[in-house]
Amino acid sequence: MPASPHQIESLAGEPPAEDWRAIAATLGRYVRARTNRADVAEDVVQETLSRLVHQSRLQKLVSIYALGFRIAANLLVDHHRRDSRYVAEREEEPASQAPLPDRVLVGRQELAILNDALAAMPPLRRDVLVRRRLQGQSCAAIARDLGLSPKAVEKHITRGLADLHKAMPGNAVMRGGER
Amino acid sequence: MSRENQIAEEAAGWIDRLNQPAFDAAAGPNFDAWMAASPRHRDVFADLQALWQSEALVEALGQAGRAPITAPAPPEPGNRFRRTWATAPRLAAAACAMLLAIMLILPIVSTSTYRSGAGKFRSVVLADGSRVDLSSDTELRVRILPWERTATLVRGEAFFDVHHEGVRAFRVTSGTTSVRVLGTAFNVDRQSPTRTAVSVYRGAVEVGVDGAANLVVRKGDGARVVDGHVVAQPRIAEGAPDWKSGWFEASDIPLGVLIGKVQRYSARPILLQDRSLQALPISGRFHIADTDRALQAVQAAYHVEVAYGPKTISIRPGARAEDH
Repeated sequence: MPASPHQIESLAGEPPAEDWRAIAATLGRYVRARTNRADVAEDVVQETLSRLVHQSRLQKLVSIYALGFRIAANLLVDHHRRDSRYVAEREEEPASQAPLPDRVLVGRQELAILNDALAAMPPLRRDVLVRRRLQGQSCAAIARDLGLSPKAVEKHITRGLADLHKAMPGNAVMRGGER
Repeated sequence: MSRENQIAEEAAGWIDRLNQPAFDAAAGPNFDAWMAASPRHRDVFADLQALWQSEALVEALGQAGRAPITAPAPPEPGNRFRRTWATAPRLAAAACAMLLAIMLILPIVSTSTYRSGAGKFRSVVLADGSRVDLSSDTELRVRILPWERTATLVRGEAFFDVHHEGVRAFRVTSGTTSVRVLGTAFNVDRQSPTRTAVSVYRGAVEVGVDGAANLVVRKGDGARVVDGHVVAQPRIAEGAPDWKSGWFEASDIPLGVLIGKVQRYSARPILLQDRSLQALPISGRFHIADTDRALQAVQAAYHVEVAYGPKTISIRPGARAEDH
């Protein structure tokens, strides 16, 4: 089911077309950041949108953006799987949230930037990020292990992520309010 | 803090919340509103989500994780946090308790447990419209949440006809084995804590062990997970699962597993008297719903002796077994 703006506008009670354009642009930005292949990115965004339209007609969505990002992530995994081995026509698609198994080579430059940004962080913050992202620990478990409050763990994660984001090329480094 | 920094931190906060196992439904509209508020919000969030999920970050954190980690005696920033909570410990505790309540209570209230007795079948329709047929002596725990559907096979065997939903996956776990689908019909047989058999009657499922996706099993095929290893079993699923007619098709399975299945229908405990019997490979078609008939068939084909006691049935190695 292709999600043309015409179809989308034709139903009442749904987000207006401008919102769909914003959703499409946002998902596109996310998907392109995760894959180098333009054709895959195009496919994934189209399919995500059509599933979102379909879902929003079936039920009131808790969050259209949250659902969109989740669908797109799953579709990216599916695409990589399809590329990496022969898969016959499927009647139904199994869902998966596993990380992309063989994402090509990680850009060396990207890796170097992240390494530097992590090294520049307070060690505790780095440790919290390793536990959360790499070891999949819950915030509560991290708080317990490190003797922090859950709020402090949350702060370390959000500040750590913001630090990493700032370090990436193209993100204007505004050193205005250093902490 | 600059505006740009503030947006990045807000976006990071949403990323962390979205990646929690339970996304608080009440936060959904707030997240959408935040995203709708500004194109910059959307861009930063998209970038950060891609960064958070990127292989590069995993790689970099892996390298950082291997470096010596300092003890939890933080230098400057940690002290800062410590001061903050000293002034508002109660607030933090309350916030924590509330978050915990949302994450714990919702899953608990939406969990249902279904059981069938020995020799009884039971058919249930779940809240999402999926149908589950429980074989004899089976226990299944089902949790239907707005974002996922999960069923845990505590013991026994069940046939699932999953209501198709484009987005919300349905997952069945049995020990470390998990089966993920969007909508299809399949059977899961928990033969022992470390042994699960899956067969697919419609659509396709993904069978994994310990959270890792492993094998896609299509209509007509099956898979067996033994001690964490997945083995494909082509062309074993046809029509309806055998158990629905009370039969079990064994192809080279341990006697212990077959007896476990017969046991599901028998009121009397069946005891294997010799450890070596446990692993004895068995093949054949057995009418497991009829305890006597199934055991007779085993006795006829293999060198075992079935003894019916007043309270138990025991199986011993056959008298002539040593001669072979």
